[in-house]
Amino acid sequence: MKASPSTIFGLVFLPLAAILVLGLAPLAVVVVWSFWAWDPSTYWIKPDFSLAGYAAILEAGRWTVILSTLVKALLAALICLVIAYPTAYAVTFLASRRLAVVLLALMTIPFFTSYLIRSFSWRLVLGRTGVVNTFLQDVGLTSAPIDWLLFSDFAVMVGLVASYLPFATFPLVLAMGRVDSIVLSAARDLGAGFWTVLRTILLPLTLSGVFAGFLFVFVMVAGSSTEVQMLGGAGASIVSVMINDVMRVANYPLAFAISTIVLAVILGLVLIGNWTFGLARLFEDRAQ
Amino acid sequence: MAIAIGIDNVSRHFGPLRAVDGVSLDIKAGEFFTLLGSSGCGKSTLLKLIGGFDAPSAGRITFDGKDMAGIPANRRPVNTVFQGLGLFPHMTVAQNVGYGLRLRGLRGKVLDDKVAEALELVQLAGFGPRDVNLLSGGQRQRVALARALVMEPGILLLDEPLTGLDEGLRQQMRDEFGRLHKRTGATFILVTHNQDEALSLSDRIAVMHAGRIEQVDQPQRFFDQPANAFVARFVGIEALLRPETVERHGDEGIATIAGQKLPVKLATTAQSGSTVIAVRSDRLVVGDGAAPLPGATLTVVESVFRGLHRDVKLAFADGQTIVVAIPADRDIPAVGAAMKVGMKPGAAIEISSSGMPEAG
Repeated sequence: MKASPSTIFGLVFLPLAAILVLGLAPLAVVVVWSFWAWDPSTYWIKPDFSLAGYAAILEAGRWTVILSTLVKALLAALICLVIAYPTAYAVTFLASRRLAVVLLALMTIPFFTSYLIRSFSWRLVLGRTGVVNTFLQDVGLTSAPIDWLLFSDFAVMVGLVASYLPFATFPLVLAMGRVDSIVLSAARDLGAGFWTVLRTILLPLTLSGVFAGFLFVFVMVAGSSTEVQMLGGAGASIVSVMINDVMRVANYPLAFAISTIVLAVILGLVLIGNWTFGLARLFEDRAQ
Repeated sequence: MAIAIGIDNVSRHFGPLRAVDGVSLDIKAGEFFTLLGSSGCGKSTLLKLIGGFDAPSAGRITFDGKDMAGIPANRRPVNTVFQGLGLFPHMTVAQNVGYGLRLRGLRGKVLDDKVAEALELVQLAGFGPRDVNLLSGGQRQRVALARALVMEPGILLLDEPLTGLDEGLRQQMRDEFGRLHKRTGATFILVTHNQDEALSLSDRIAVMHAGRIEQVDQPQRFFDQPANAFVARFVGIEALLRPETVERHGDEGIATIAGQKLPVKLATTAQSGSTVIAVRSDRLVVGDGAAPLPGATLTVVESVFRGLHRDVKLAFADGQTIVVAIPADRDIPAVGAAMKVGMKPGAAIEISSSGMPEAG
C-alpha cells in the first residue's frame, strides 16, 4: 500500500507546522531582536543593527556566568553518562524482561514531581541537620556538620544529576537495545574479556546513544535555574537566572544576546555530534 | 590440535525446567559430531555449556581431560559460528576476521596474511575491505566461518549455521563444512534440527529429546538399530507396530501381529520393558518379488500418488498400518484388495517402545 503524495503532505503538514511555528520562529525572533536597540521612550525595543547587547555580555562578568553554565552542563552531562551507561547495560543485557520494565519505570520517578520540590528535598538531605550530616556524625566519621554539602557547587551538581539522569539513560537504553547480544558473545568467543568487549564492540555501537544522552543533559542543564537557586551558594548563577535578572530591568537586547550565544553553542554541538557520531543512526533501522 | 571433549553427567536447570538433564558424552578429538533434535530439546544449551557461555548446574565438562569449570568463553580453545552469526556491524570483512588475532597481539603483515588466507579458505578472497552489512546471506555465513577458523581452534562449534539460508546455499555450505573439517582437522560440533545435514556430515550423531540423549551412534546405525520408538520416528521410520508376542531365538525372532508371523531382528542389547516392531519401508517388497520372501498378506486401505512413486497404505487385521512405495507406473491397487508384502532381512526390528505415541 502506497500513500498518495497529498496524503503524505497532509500527514507531514501538522508536525512540520508545529516545528516551524512553535519551535523555529520564536528562536529566529530571539536572534533578530538581539541586534535591536533599547528604546527608552516606549520601554521596548526598536529595529536597528546594534551590537550593544553583545557588548554588555562582556561587562559585569556576565561572560563568566555563561562559561560556568557551559562547564556545569558539560560536567553534569559527563557524570550522568558515567552513571547511565552501566545502568543501561544492566537493564538491556543483565535484567530479565520483567525487571527491566520495573527498572525503567523507577527511572522515570524524577518526572513525578516538580523540579522545585525535588531540589528542595535535597536541602533536607544535604543540610546541616540533614540526613547525610546526621548519619556521618552518628557513625562518628565527622564530629561537626559538613558545610559544603549544601549551598555549594557540589549541591548544585547533585541536584542537576538527579534531575536530568533519565535524559541520559533512555537514549542509551535505546542504543543498547539495538545491539544484538550475539555480537557480544561472538567477541567473547574470539577471546575478548569484558573490558575489551566494551571498548571495541559495545561503545562503538552505542556512540550515537552516548552523544544523544550527553546532548539532552547538556541542553537541559544549560536551560535550568531551579537547582542553582535552591541549592547554590551565595552569588551562584546560571544563564537562566541571569536572563531573568536582565529581563527584570527591561534590558531585552542583552537577554536576547545571551540567549543567542547559548543557542549557537548548542547548535554547534548538535552539528559536530552529528558529523562525528552520526546521531541520526540512533533512529535508523540497521538491516541485520 | 584437535581436542577431545568429555561431558560427564552434565545438567543445566532453569528453575523447574531441565534444559539439559544428566547428559554424558565422549567426543573424540577430530570428530565431526552432531547434536540433533527438534527445538527446545536442549542441544543449543549443551553447546553453550561447551563454549563456556553458560555454566552447568551439575556435572563436569573436560577438554582433553582438563576440567573446564570456571574457565570463561574467552579463555577456552573453542570458537563458535553462532546462529544469527553475530558479525560486528561496525567493521569491514577483514576487521571481523582479524578481530580475534588482533586480541592475540598480531599486527601488520602477519595479521593481513592470516586474514587473507582465511578468506581464501572460505572462498571470499578479495572481500576484505567490504562492509559486512552489504554482503549476501551466504557471504555473511562465510565471514563468520572464516572469523572462527582463523583462530585455528581445537574445537569448532556450529550452532544451526545453515538456518535461514535458501536450499541451494545450504547444500553449498554443507559441502564447505565437510571440506573444512578435513582441511583443519579440528573437532567439529554441529547443532541442528535438520536430519539431512546431520546424516551427510557427521561421524557420529547424538539424538536429543527433552534434555536427554536418546541415542549416540554412527549415522547408518540410526536406521539399522534405532534405540527406541522416539528415535525411529525422528529419523523417519514411521511404521511402528505393536506385536502380540515375540518369540526369541538368539538375535532373530518371530513377532506375531494380528495373527501373522513376521521375522524380526532383535536388539543386540537386552530389551527391558515393552517393545515395538519398527518396519523399514525400504526393505519391503511387493508384487512379483514378494512371493519367495517371508512376510504378511495385508489389506489395501488407500493409495496416494507421490510423483515418482505411489504410497500404498496397508492394514493388518487389527487396524495397524504400514506404508509401502510402489512405482508410479504400476496399476493402482484397489482399496480392499489383499496384497502380499515380502520382508527382506532386517526389514523389521524390535526396539524399545520408549517415546511411542499412545495408540489413538
